[in-house]
Amino acid sequence: MSNSILGSGAVSLGLAASITGMIVVAMGLANHRGSWKRETRWLVGIMTFAAIAAVVVMERALITRDFTVAYVAENGSSKTPALFNFATMWAALEGSILLWTLILTGYVVAVLVKFRDRHDDPMVGWAMLTLFVVTTFFFALMLGPANPFKSFNPPLGYDGPGPNPLLQNHVLMAFHPPVLYLGYVGFTVPFAFAISALVTGRVGEGWLLATRRWTVMAWGFLSLGIILGAWWSYETLGWGGYWAWDPVENASFLPWLTGTAFIHSVMVQERRGMLRVWNLSLVVSTFALTILGTFITRSGVLNSVHAFVESGIGPWILTFFALIVVVSLGLIAWRGDELRSPGRIDSPVSREGAFLANNVLFAAFAFVVLLGTIFPLIVEAVDGRSISVGNPYFDRMTMPIGFMLLFLMGIAPVLPWRKASSGVLSQRLIGPAWFGAAVVLFSVLVGARGWAPLLAFGLGGFAAGASGRQLILATRRQGWRGLVGRTNGGMIVHIGVILIAVAFAASNAYVRQDEFNLLPGDTATMSGHTLTFEGSTVIEYPNRTERVARIRIDGGQVYEPALATYPFAGQSINIPSVRSTAVDDIALSVLSYPEGTDDAVLLRATIQPMIVWLWIGGLVIAGGTLMAVVPGNRRRPTDPVSAPLEEVSV
Amino acid sequence: MSTSITRKRRSNLRLWSWIGAAVLAVSAFLYGSVSGGQPQTNAERAHALADNFACPVCSGQSVAQSDASVARIIRREIRTWVDEGRTTDYIRSQLVADFGEDIDYTPSATGITSLVWILPVVGGAGAITGLFFVFRRWKLDADFEASAEDVALVDAARADLP
Repeated sequence: MSNSILGSGAVSLGLAASITGMIVVAMGLANHRGSWKRETRWLVGIMTFAAIAAVVVMERALITRDFTVAYVAENGSSKTPALFNFATMWAALEGSILLWTLILTGYVVAVLVKFRDRHDDPMVGWAMLTLFVVTTFFFALMLGPANPFKSFNPPLGYDGPGPNPLLQNHVLMAFHPPVLYLGYVGFTVPFAFAISALVTGRVGEGWLLATRRWTVMAWGFLSLGIILGAWWSYETLGWGGYWAWDPVENASFLPWLTGTAFIHSVMVQERRGMLRVWNLSLVVSTFALTILGTFITRSGVLNSVHAFVESGIGPWILTFFALIVVVSLGLIAWRGDELRSPGRIDSPVSREGAFLANNVLFAAFAFVVLLGTIFPLIVEAVDGRSISVGNPYFDRMTMPIGFMLLFLMGIAPVLPWRKASSGVLSQRLIGPAWFGAAVVLFSVLVGARGWAPLLAFGLGGFAAGASGRQLILATRRQGWRGLVGRTNGGMIVHIGVILIAVAFAASNAYVRQDEFNLLPGDTATMSGHTLTFEGSTVIEYPNRTERVARIRIDGGQVYEPALATYPFAGQSINIPSVRSTAVDDIALSVLSYPEGTDDAVLLRATIQPMIVWLWIGGLVIAGGTLMAVVPGNRRRPTDPVSAPLEEVSV
Repeated sequence: MSTSITRKRRSNLRLWSWIGAAVLAVSAFLYGSVSGGQPQTNAERAHALADNFACPVCSGQSVAQSDASVARIIRREIRTWVDEGRTTDYIRSQLVADFGEDIDYTPSATGITSLVWILPVVGGAGAITGLFFVFRRWKLDADFEASAEDVALVDAARADLP
């Protein structure tokens, strides 16, 4: 049986199981009986089997170069190396939807297992129903506009072009999309429970507690996925950067912003019973933004270096996005009175006050990024003009918000709940303040200049001091357990975010880039580094021809940026070579080998400080996320959670 | 008596520590901000400018990022203008005249495009005002006299503390 038929059969089976699951759970909920649980187990099993089978069939088609499958004919090639051939499944639109669906069914299985003892609970029932609606949508996409198993009649001797050359020259391509999708799709679980809470009217803290670790893990995967994407971009695109405020990059950043706000504000609801509407809105927004991101990436409405080819998928995703927003808003409006919080914030100078400010800032950040991303579409729709919104806008608008967030990261960890006295603040913040001051002094001594980077370094030092203080106190009290649990893991995550913020500020403020026309033996000097061109070599690979330039940096090791030509894709790309140290990176890329010259090269060199700390920061975030989901020491109910009594006005 | 003196001494010490940290941070910050370091070279200024314009034939890449030949030509043009001492406004107007408004990554602050600058500021101001009123209302709600019963309850609870 052909792969097209097998794959289409698997997708049809998955869709049938999803729709049946929806009906069975809905009927079970309507009849107030929990008997749906046995059938659901079967249906989830069938649905997951179908998703796995579809993926296996696609990989089989890719590995055997079965060009009768249109997706393989358009994206596969007999010349593509094995790893990238395997990763071709998520290199184009239809395959990426297949990967999304596989991960989604995995999450559904995990929910079913985790809540196996609560299948009679309507909260779990409505969450399962919501999950089935989402799986139905994605299976339906694969039978509609994003069909990965369309058949193709290849002419004799046909060989495909292979994936986009940019997607087959770095190992990160195998990891970045799956990790990113684990984050995107992971937010479906808290969304499903939020909808369930609204429908059942159990809008208290139960659904938050049930989904706390799911949210943190999804956030961690999304963070790591974004960092891996930036790393991939830096290592493959050859322009010496890693973040360009591109619409597709923004599409991944938007749910990260709202998800981060949610992770913080959820603590206010857990402790004080407040911000219920806000938390529900944030979790709905986060999920809706993942779908909007899918629309931006896959509809072709916005120009992006990362976008998939234009397809007919746009209206489907936009309709689903509208459905999510309308249903969620409708439910929130319906539960209006029950969502009113009984508590109030006693003082802005308190942990919950800081979380509130943090949420306002994250919401503002998300608004700026969303507005800047879709504004060209708005202008075009209103008066037909074509405009661009890029780096200068995003840098100018987000920089003050970033500074305020760094400041809050320094203040918030030392604040008690309810209210803080000036004495407490003064005592707890003096260490971080000295650390911040020392960082500014050190930066100036090593030659850093300019108010913006210095402010970022100082605030970063201040925030790192506060996080470090919390970790030191916790490990003194609890030993290694002082590194685990939500608060302590969260502080490790803060340190990772601070590393990234400081590295971002340094690399953007002190970037140096220049282009050089060099003949063999020529040396160029740039920011105190020497680059000597020692000649070039042509290397033939099965899928490409590379002309490699040998560049000796500072008289030491030789680096080999190359210009690669992929004949099947009819495209040439440059393959950068990067010298990384803890202090700075030198990224080299070949722009061209000018014709009519004797072995000359047009070389672009980019020198940026602290780049490697971006990737280290990403690893620290991943580690901190893992620590955060490990249960910490439980607080004794008698332990004070607020400032000492004498400091609280009665 | 001696505890009170120690506490006061500690408080004074902390105050001086704060003053020391503030003086150190502010003076280092001002020195680093004002002294400016090495002036930007023409190459650096040209690169910074090229990052502010969209490559006219690429999908979402700036002139600085793109390897397309037209991007390389524009980079060379920008470098020539910078070497000639042209202003940023001159370079912007030349590129917009040659390639259209959408080459400029900085939206104009006039007409409908000004909304992209105004809306976040208005939204931010609205959020701050809203928070101010919310906290004010919460504070007013909290301004009540504790009854004798409340005070007795709190006293009893405090007496139970170890």
